[in-house]
Amino acid sequence: MCAEELDFIEKYDLLGCIQCGRCTGGCPVATRTPLRVRGFMYDGLNEERLEELSEKPEIWDCTTCFTCAARCPKGLEPLEVLIGLRSLLIEEGKVQPTVRDALESIFKDGNPWGSPRSKRMDWAADLDVKILEPEDEEKTDVMLYICCTDAYDPRVMKVAQALVKVLKAANVDFGLIGEEESCCGSEVRRLGEEGLFEMCDEENVEMMNSYNVGSIVAISPHCYNTLKKEYHGLKHPVLHYTELVAQLLEDGKLTLNTEMKKLITYHDPCFLGKQNDIYDEPRYILTRIPGAEYKDFDRCRERSLCCEGGGGKMWVETESKEERLAEIRVDDAKEMGAEVIAVACPFCLLTLEDATKVKGVDEEMRVADILELLAEAL
Amino acid sequence: MNMVVCVKRVPDTSESEVHIDGSGKGIDTSRLSFGINECDNYAVEEAIQKKEALGGNVTVISLGDKQSDEVIRMALAKGGDDAIRLEDEAFAGSDAVAVAKALAAAVKDVEWDIVFTGALTDDDGYAAVPVALGEILGVPFATYVKKLEVMDDGKKVKVGRELEGGLMEMVEMTTPCVLGIQTGINEPRYASFKGIKQAARKEITIKSASDLGLDASDCGEAGSWAALEQFTPPVVGEMAEILEGEPDETAGKLAGILKEKGLV
Repeated sequence: MCAEELDFIEKYDLLGCIQCGRCTGGCPVATRTPLRVRGFMYDGLNEERLEELSEKPEIWDCTTCFTCAARCPKGLEPLEVLIGLRSLLIEEGKVQPTVRDALESIFKDGNPWGSPRSKRMDWAADLDVKILEPEDEEKTDVMLYICCTDAYDPRVMKVAQALVKVLKAANVDFGLIGEEESCCGSEVRRLGEEGLFEMCDEENVEMMNSYNVGSIVAISPHCYNTLKKEYHGLKHPVLHYTELVAQLLEDGKLTLNTEMKKLITYHDPCFLGKQNDIYDEPRYILTRIPGAEYKDFDRCRERSLCCEGGGGKMWVETESKEERLAEIRVDDAKEMGAEVIAVACPFCLLTLEDATKVKGVDEEMRVADILELLAEAL
Repeated sequence: MNMVVCVKRVPDTSESEVHIDGSGKGIDTSRLSFGINECDNYAVEEAIQKKEALGGNVTVISLGDKQSDEVIRMALAKGGDDAIRLEDEAFAGSDAVAVAKALAAAVKDVEWDIVFTGALTDDDGYAAVPVALGEILGVPFATYVKKLEVMDDGKKVKVGRELEGGLMEMVEMTTPCVLGIQTGINEPRYASFKGIKQAARKEITIKSASDLGLDASDCGEAGSWAALEQFTPPVVGEMAEILEGEPDETAGKLAGILKEKGLV
């Protein structure tokens, strides 16, 4: 046992836990996996059991959605205990090959998708976009921070392309970091790789601070959350794109002229909603689309059901054969007659779109990022 | 059981476009990322696993400039004990035989029962270093090793060699020996960032050609049996068909072709 483990109780304030069970009661994945986070809050008190606890496969079922923390009456963050247990395995090198490959790819190429840095800007090849220069005397209003998934995933890169189209339509002065942009480390931290996350924090803060920009706008709520709340010393304000776009619409700088006669619902991403209280801006934007009808999910805002895309789950398959939460979400949308599930997160986009295919409703129901809908409504 | 594992830092060309440089004898590496040669990564894991099971010492050796320290440190973070890096301008232009001469000279000062190398490298792919090294050292050797069992307290090893058609050739040999490790023999562990940083405290001994007692005639092009003439890009043959379009479109076309040819 290393010194770090001796602090386990203190680090996660395990003695503050009253074992009320609201964490497990609210945990969305407890319905389909053996994960019972309350048990870990108790068992973690016995330092001799940490190694055994870290080897329980269910610690990888947590999506770090934050419901357990949001509902804890003592203000504890039970999900962090699971991340702490993951970090014990990481230090011993005992992780699934998919996790290993994602982490090594971040270390080597600055992204978890095993793609070279030289291809990071391929998504913008046909777009006329400004690449920012460090220490530029002229200030650029907005630096776009393109998530690795938006940069490399052929489906999700359409969202980044839509953002460029929308910002150009609103005459926003913006620029991109280009090939030098690296992973924010949000998933790195949640997979338990503390050291690599510290590297992401230090290197990205130094790099971002070298640019003369008014603000940083992130596409992914995961990047947004990390830049805004987990980095040390970042001097620029950080916004999620829904905040910027809602403001542009409100100020009359962006006008939507094309009708979209669809019933749209919106899936709140955990990292935007539960973790950062951004609920109104996405709804404000969607209700400005001409011709569109908007309806909320029954489980929406802080009660929104996690899609299971976060917490490193893009690289860890859950063994459970029970229905995925994203599939339940698609069923709920179908029941309310929604034709479009709008999202504001690359992981939600991928998990929900997959779920429409699994459910065989992908012909009749569309999953799209708010930005894609906006670009069509211009 | 003492072991040596030879590692090489190579460009990752699996996803990148490779361009020949102006000299015609190299590639433009300016936009490539580098890492440990894939087979070598499995060789490191095999050595560490055998050390964990049987005890002993693992020495990591790499021929390359200072940038190779990064792959050496990764191997040390996983459980390697000592490291030697062979650096000398005289090594430039070495073929597999000249590399093997340098490695053979380097292991003379180390106690070892098995020298592990990767079966082949991702860059020049000769698959000749383990063979040449075994010959120079005058010990038994095997390549494409995908199974390894240590027997008789380390006096012998039973080795499975991966052959075409899924065949596994089982051979027994005495130690000391040289084994060229194939991918898939194990599942390489992850080296954490903290582990790599801690490994930076371990000393890497640097040795030049003269430290190794090598003459100019043993090194680089002079010590090589083959000289690189030039690289040329492959010519697209008549049978080649490049599928273009969006991924869903190209995937559909590919599925159609595979079906048409009766391959699925």
